[in-house]
Amino acid sequence: MSHSQKRSKSIHLHQLRKAFALKPLAVGVAGIMLSACGGSREQSNIYVTPEDCQQDNPEATGQCLAAYESALQEHNRTAPKFNSQNDCEYEFGNDRCQYVQSSSGSFFMPFMAGYMVSQLLQPRPYYSQPLYTSFSPYSPFRSRWVTSNGYVFDGDIRRRSYNAPSSVFEKKPTVNRTIKRGGFGSSVRAKSSWGSSGSKSKGWGG
Amino acid sequence: MFRMASQPRHNWQQLAAEYGFHFHTMYGEPYWDESAYYQFTLPQIEQDIEDPSAELHQMCLHVVDKVVNSEALLTQCQIPQQHWDLVATSWREKQPSLYSRLDLVYDGQSPAKLLENNADTPTSLYETGFWQWLWLENLVDAGKIARHADQFNSLQEKLVYRFEQLRQQYGYQRIHFSCCEDSVEDRGTVQYLQDCASAAGIDAPFLFIEEIGLSDTGYFTDLDDQAITHAFKLYPWEFMLREEFGDAISAADVGWLEPAWKSVLSNKALLPLLWQEFTNHPNLLPAFFETDKNRASGGQWIKKPLFSREGANISLLNDDDSPTTLSEGPYGEEGFILQQYHPLPRYGEQYVLIGSWLIDDLPAGISIREDRSLITQDLSRYLPHIIL
Repeated sequence: MSHSQKRSKSIHLHQLRKAFALKPLAVGVAGIMLSACGGSREQSNIYVTPEDCQQDNPEATGQCLAAYESALQEHNRTAPKFNSQNDCEYEFGNDRCQYVQSSSGSFFMPFMAGYMVSQLLQPRPYYSQPLYTSFSPYSPFRSRWVTSNGYVFDGDIRRRSYNAPSSVFEKKPTVNRTIKRGGFGSSVRAKSSWGSSGSKSKGWGG
Repeated sequence: MFRMASQPRHNWQQLAAEYGFHFHTMYGEPYWDESAYYQFTLPQIEQDIEDPSAELHQMCLHVVDKVVNSEALLTQCQIPQQHWDLVATSWREKQPSLYSRLDLVYDGQSPAKLLENNADTPTSLYETGFWQWLWLENLVDAGKIARHADQFNSLQEKLVYRFEQLRQQYGYQRIHFSCCEDSVEDRGTVQYLQDCASAAGIDAPFLFIEEIGLSDTGYFTDLDDQAITHAFKLYPWEFMLREEFGDAISAADVGWLEPAWKSVLSNKALLPLLWQEFTNHPNLLPAFFETDKNRASGGQWIKKPLFSREGANISLLNDDDSPTTLSEGPYGEEGFILQQYHPLPRYGEQYVLIGSWLIDDLPAGISIREDRSLITQDLSRYLPHIIL
C-alpha cells in the first residue's frame, strides 16, 4: 500500500480562473501571439517604454520604437474592453483604465503597461505585443504581466525577461487556400434531430 | 464505500462562475451535486479500482492489437474498409493517446465490473480533475472534512505531465482543440484541456469541428487558413470516418488525440472481444455479439448498439429472450452486442456508476455519477468523493 497522496498536490488556481471573467465586451482572439514568429523558446524581453528598450539595445533604437508602435496598435485592437469603468478598475486597479470612443461604440480598457519583444536583433522579423498588469487586489494577475488574451506570465512584474512559451512550429505544410469547410459534423446534425429532445443540442462526448 | 450527506458550500455557484464551470446545471436539472459525497477506504481505491483499471486497460490494448491485424475483426467492429489502413497504421506507429474512462460497477465489496470503455471522447473531465478537487480543499479548509482525507484524483497533474511529454517527445508544439457547436458541456471539457495543454507550454487554439477546412493541398485548416498539424477532437471517430472529410483524413497527416486506433476501443464490439480473450476474468461481464450462435442463453442480458452515446438504444433481454426497451435512440444500424445484466449498486434511492480515468495507461482518478434510474443517462448527477 502506498502512502503517497492520491490527488493532485497543488493546482495553480490563477491559471484556471477565467481571466477577465467580469463581462468584458471582447477579449482579443488573436491566439497566443508569442508563437507568431517561431524560434525555439527564445528569450523575450519586456519593456515599459521605447527608451527602456533602447537603453538595452543601443544598436537597435529604430526597432525599439517600431516594436513599441506595433504593440500599441495591437493594444488598440485587442485590449480587453469593459462596459463600465468599475468593471475595468476591478480587474486592473484604480486609475488604470482609459475611456475609449470608437466607431464600434464606447468602452473602458486598461492602459498598455509594457510590451514584450523577442528576436529584436535577428534578421528575421521581430515580434512584439502589448502587456498589461493589475494593481487590483481582486485580480489573479496583480503584479504580474498578462497578455491581452489573458496569458499570465509566471513571476513578479519586476521580472523582465522570459523564455516565452513560443511554439516553434515544425515546418508547416503548404496551404494556399481552403477549398471547403463543414466536412466534419454532419453526424451530429443527423443524430440530434432524433426524438423530442433534438433541440437540446447535447454534447457528443460520453 | 458510504454515501454521506454533506452541506453544500454557500458560495459554490459563485465559485463556479469565477472558474468558468458553466454546466453545473443542465436542461433545468442539477448536474453537480454536493449535497452528498461518497467515501472510500484506501484499499478499496487501490486494490478494487486502481489496479484493475490498469489491468483492464492493458487487456483492451491487447484486443486492439488483435483487431488491427485481422480483417475479420475489423469487419466485425464495423470499421469502414477504406479506413483499415488508417487505423492499423496509427496503432503500428504507436501514435500516442491522451486519456480514457472506464465505466465500472462497484459496490465496495465485490470485484468491479467493466461496463464500457469511453476511450475516444470521455467527458466529465473538468468536474473530476479540478472541480471535485477544489470542493475537497474547501471542505477541509472549512474544517468540515478531516485534514487527512484524500481523493483518488491526480488527473490534472497527470494531464499536464502527459501534455509535456507530448510536446517534448512527440512534437506537439501546437494543438488545435475542437468539439462540435452548441454544447456548453463539451466546450467546457475542451477548455479545460486547453488550459492543461497551455500549462505544459503548448499553444492551444480552438475551433469548432464544423469549422475545420480542407486545403487545396489536402491538409485540414483552421479559420486563418493555417494547416492543422496536431488536433484534439471531442468528436467520435465512428462519425469522422463516415463523414465527408473522412476520406481526406489519411492524407491530411494530423497527429490526432485520440489517435485513430481508439476507434476499436470506443466500439462496444470491444466487450465481447474482451470476453473471448479473457473469459471469466473477475472484472469482466460475459458479453457476446448478438449474431453469435454460440452465445450463452438464460438469465438477463443488456442489448446495446455497437455505436451509441449517452445510454441510447438499450434494451433488457429477459430469461425467455423477450426484450424490454430501456431507452430509445437513433443508433443500432451497425449491429448489437449483449452483455450480462449486472445491476448498479443502490444507495438510498440512487444507483451509482464509477468512472475510472486513465491518462495514457496510468490510472488517475475516479468520478461518481448517480441516477434515479437503473441505466445511467446523460442527466445523471455528478457527486464528489473522498478517501478516509
